[in-house]
Amino acid sequence: MKVYVSGLYSGGNPQPGVGIVRSVRQGFPFATIVGVEYSNRVSGIHWEDLDELWIQRPWSELDLDAYGAQVRGVLDEGGLWISGSDLEAMWLASIFPDGHRNLLAPPNGAFKRITKPSVEAADKLPVEVPTFISTDLPDWELHAFCRAHNWRVWLKGPYYDAARTPTWDRFIAARDALTKVWSTDRLFLQAHVSGYEESVMLAAYQGELLGCVSMRKRDITPEGKTWAGDVSPVDPKFEEPLREMVRDLNWTGGGELEMVRDAAGQRWLLEMNPRFPAWVHGATIAGHNLPALLVQAAAGVNARRAKPLASEFTRVVLEVPVRDEFPLPALPEPFAGAIGHSMKHPSGLTSLAERLHKADAELIGIAEEEAVADGIPQVPETFLDDIAAYDLERLQTPEFLYMGSTAEQLFRRAGERAHRLSTNEVQVVSGYSIKTNPDERLIGLALENGFLAEAISLLEVQKALKVGFRPDQVILNGPGKWWPEGMMPKERLHAVFCDSVADLDRCVDALATGEMDSRHVGIRIRTPNVVSRFGIPLDSPGTFRALVEAVERLPAHVAFGVHFHMASSNIGVAQWWHLFESMLKWCRAIEQLTGRTIEILDMGGGWFPDDWHSSDESRFVRAVERVKAVLPRVTQIVSEPGKAMAQPSMALAMRILEIQEHEDDSIEAVVDGSIAELPMYAFQPHRILRQCGESGALQPLGRGKTHLMGRLCMEHDIVATNVALPEGTRAGDVLIFCDAGGYDRSMSYVFGRG
Amino acid sequence: MYLVEVESAAKDQAAEVVAPGAPSDRWEEFPYSRLSHHGDRCCEMARQWVVAMDFAQLNGASVESGPRWLREKYKWGPSPWPMHWCDVVERDTIDCGAHAALALEVFAARGLAAFPAQLVQKYSKEATDQWRGSWEAEEVSCHWLDGEHIYHEATAVLVGTGELKVWDGSAGSWVNPRQRGGYGSVLSIRVFADSPEAISNGFRWGEQRIAANRWQQIG
Ligand SMILES: [Zn+2]
Ligand SMILES: [Zn+2]
Repeated sequence: MKVYVSGLYSGGNPQPGVGIVRSVRQGFPFATIVGVEYSNRVSGIHWEDLDELWIQRPWSELDLDAYGAQVRGVLDEGGLWISGSDLEAMWLASIFPDGHRNLLAPPNGAFKRITKPSVEAADKLPVEVPTFISTDLPDWELHAFCRAHNWRVWLKGPYYDAARTPTWDRFIAARDALTKVWSTDRLFLQAHVSGYEESVMLAAYQGELLGCVSMRKRDITPEGKTWAGDVSPVDPKFEEPLREMVRDLNWTGGGELEMVRDAAGQRWLLEMNPRFPAWVHGATIAGHNLPALLVQAAAGVNARRAKPLASEFTRVVLEVPVRDEFPLPALPEPFAGAIGHSMKHPSGLTSLAERLHKADAELIGIAEEEAVADGIPQVPETFLDDIAAYDLERLQTPEFLYMGSTAEQLFRRAGERAHRLSTNEVQVVSGYSIKTNPDERLIGLALENGFLAEAISLLEVQKALKVGFRPDQVILNGPGKWWPEGMMPKERLHAVFCDSVADLDRCVDALATGEMDSRHVGIRIRTPNVVSRFGIPLDSPGTFRALVEAVERLPAHVAFGVHFHMASSNIGVAQWWHLFESMLKWCRAIEQLTGRTIEILDMGGGWFPDDWHSSDESRFVRAVERVKAVLPRVTQIVSEPGKAMAQPSMALAMRILEIQEHEDDSIEAVVDGSIAELPMYAFQPHRILRQCGESGALQPLGRGKTHLMGRLCMEHDIVATNVALPEGTRAGDVLIFCDAGGYDRSMSYVFGRG
Repeated sequence: MYLVEVESAAKDQAAEVVAPGAPSDRWEEFPYSRLSHHGDRCCEMARQWVVAMDFAQLNGASVESGPRWLREKYKWGPSPWPMHWCDVVERDTIDCGAHAALALEVFAARGLAAFPAQLVQKYSKEATDQWRGSWEAEEVSCHWLDGEHIYHEATAVLVGTGELKVWDGSAGSWVNPRQRGGYGSVLSIRVFADSPEAISNGFRWGEQRIAANRWQQIG
């Protein structure tokens, strides 16, 4: 009996070949085992159990047709083949679409039904699939997905790569890298599930499940790969549907379902691999020798049974002698003047991905039922109306465009919503955060629509008063609220929130001397577990005690309040709501310990416009109910939507200066805007429009191979990457970057203007 | 050669049958640790801080997640008893009794049914000698050490109908109900519960049935 085993890479992220070889050897002591590899740099080829080696040239060089014929010859002569590599198995499936009785790998049809991320074939298993979306969608929607999942998301390739993308710029970088490595744009973003990692391994022959076993990872490498685990039989409630699934797929070979079990015991399927896992021999140690069962079924020869040695296994690192006939390859030359050697997989697996993709894009593409999106975002009608009011030809670009009707609609809706959320006991009012955009037109809209003005400096207070706010409509907070000196209004303010214990003591003094007056005086709390430089910390019993004692120093004649602020766009929407609940608990503790009742709650902010404006109003209704239940003396809730108001209210027009096409189809276009006008370019996507030269219509830009480079002579001045310029775009055309009215506007600076 | 090794290892394994250890008599009547309360603001502030902090640290995860933050904030080691709420939160190092008492409080504050749990675990003579040294250096009682066995406290949490998980607060992990024998394994467990249902039905812990309020051997 001759058994061919591939996938012998045995590094920190090993392939299963060596484990398969050890297990086959245990079941069939006298079998001839042939190691198949595509590089002599793969250390597993030196493993002692291998009787013969069949080393091929790397995938990048291999003549696939000739090699395919050789493999067929080997199988026809009775050799059994267990593939230890996903891509090799996929390629074999393309050579033998209906399988071969000696090929112990899944047939072509099965692959299509296990592609990540949906794993359609597993729909009968008692597992859930974590939410995911295709990166074919517009950046605008991808950003929304990340916010909705608290930035705990994974960008995954169609095979086995995955990168955590906790911020937008990391997402952009990872998308570029994965697209290049796997020669495909078909990536997807998947929500993270936290829990314990476990796997089910299976072996099947021609649709019959031969055996399966469950493993919990008990120790993992920094890459999350198994180092130690415990092995147990598969729960019958899982095994039965698994047996059906295997029959349905006509599965042959090994397989692995990688899962996470959450705190409630629910299993989430991360992926299904078309081969045995690298821990395969760990199961053999525990008495579940699935490779031997597989060979037994295919060859009709009974495997030698072995007693289980333990129900737990771990790994050790071993030095083994190098075989004379395959000495180590030459030492790689370090890159001149740089760091490191080649980082590529020694067998050139990624180039197999490229070749497979070119041969049959469908074969390894992500199964996609719905029409492929083109990355073109939806742009609200009011944006188009507002931009149409400008004579783009005559604009002196770069230029911010005030989006009048958009802004009016946003402020009016926010005012109406606050009114609807108010009850007889609790008034809900919006606060306009002046720092997000101090444009007087926006401050004026805030005043008209019943907002309070939120200021972080006395200059901002003066600005609010100048536009027409009364002092008792102004909230002052932040660490620099006494700056500049001597500008504190003598009149009574609506509320002042203190950023530190020292700030609170200063306010207490100022109230006593009459230097400052305010109806409410409160504290901003620094919620634990979220990094912030603001507010009074609660992270130790000592800081909490200091806060409680400081609150007790507040004079009785001012009403007390609490301010809590965290950018929901950074931490994610669900996490923001958790923080809200957490803050209520802290407030209740502060009330009980100080005897001071909280009358005003100020909750910010940093909401992404779509999250704030389109989110289900019932969430806010419930929040008001929660406040009433937990803090019954609160009479006013100030809700600070932050950039949700400002961001859509302005756009930035810029002109294309030059377009350069490169040999690799990429396009570099230089524009007269820059990161000086668009400092948020790395933190959030912007919807971009171009006015068609002929029709004058505004066309949104989809995804493509163009990079828009700013006018500044600075390496990082790139205002957009991977966009598609519509046909006919020329130098001189105007591009409109929407969603630029928040910090893009307020933090823009003068640079490179002479 | 390889096969020979495997076979002899299998024989060794079969020969070494580990008899389940009985808990030492000295812990038969042992009460579980309880934090004291001065009945004043000092202790109330500390207790409220622990509960509010626990919710903040939960960070949106399931309420059935273990409060690992407590182990990150408080090292495991000798601590003197009796201990008040206002003492325990200010310490750097607390023993398993204090860890278990804090975990009990936060699980209950999350609305879960949680119970004090006592364990007898097997380590080695070398391990208990080491621990005896560090406890004696702090002049703290070593009543919990006995040969290769130790007395340990944890917190049992009801996660389904009659089903328990056992949180080892000073390890920051759930106790594995599948571990039978060997270094670090649980030999006996006692879960305190006063509901009539628990008293008549007991609990399920992994594959085992656990009666309430009495020592039960594992394995
Ligand atoms: Zn006290
Ligand atoms: Zn202990």
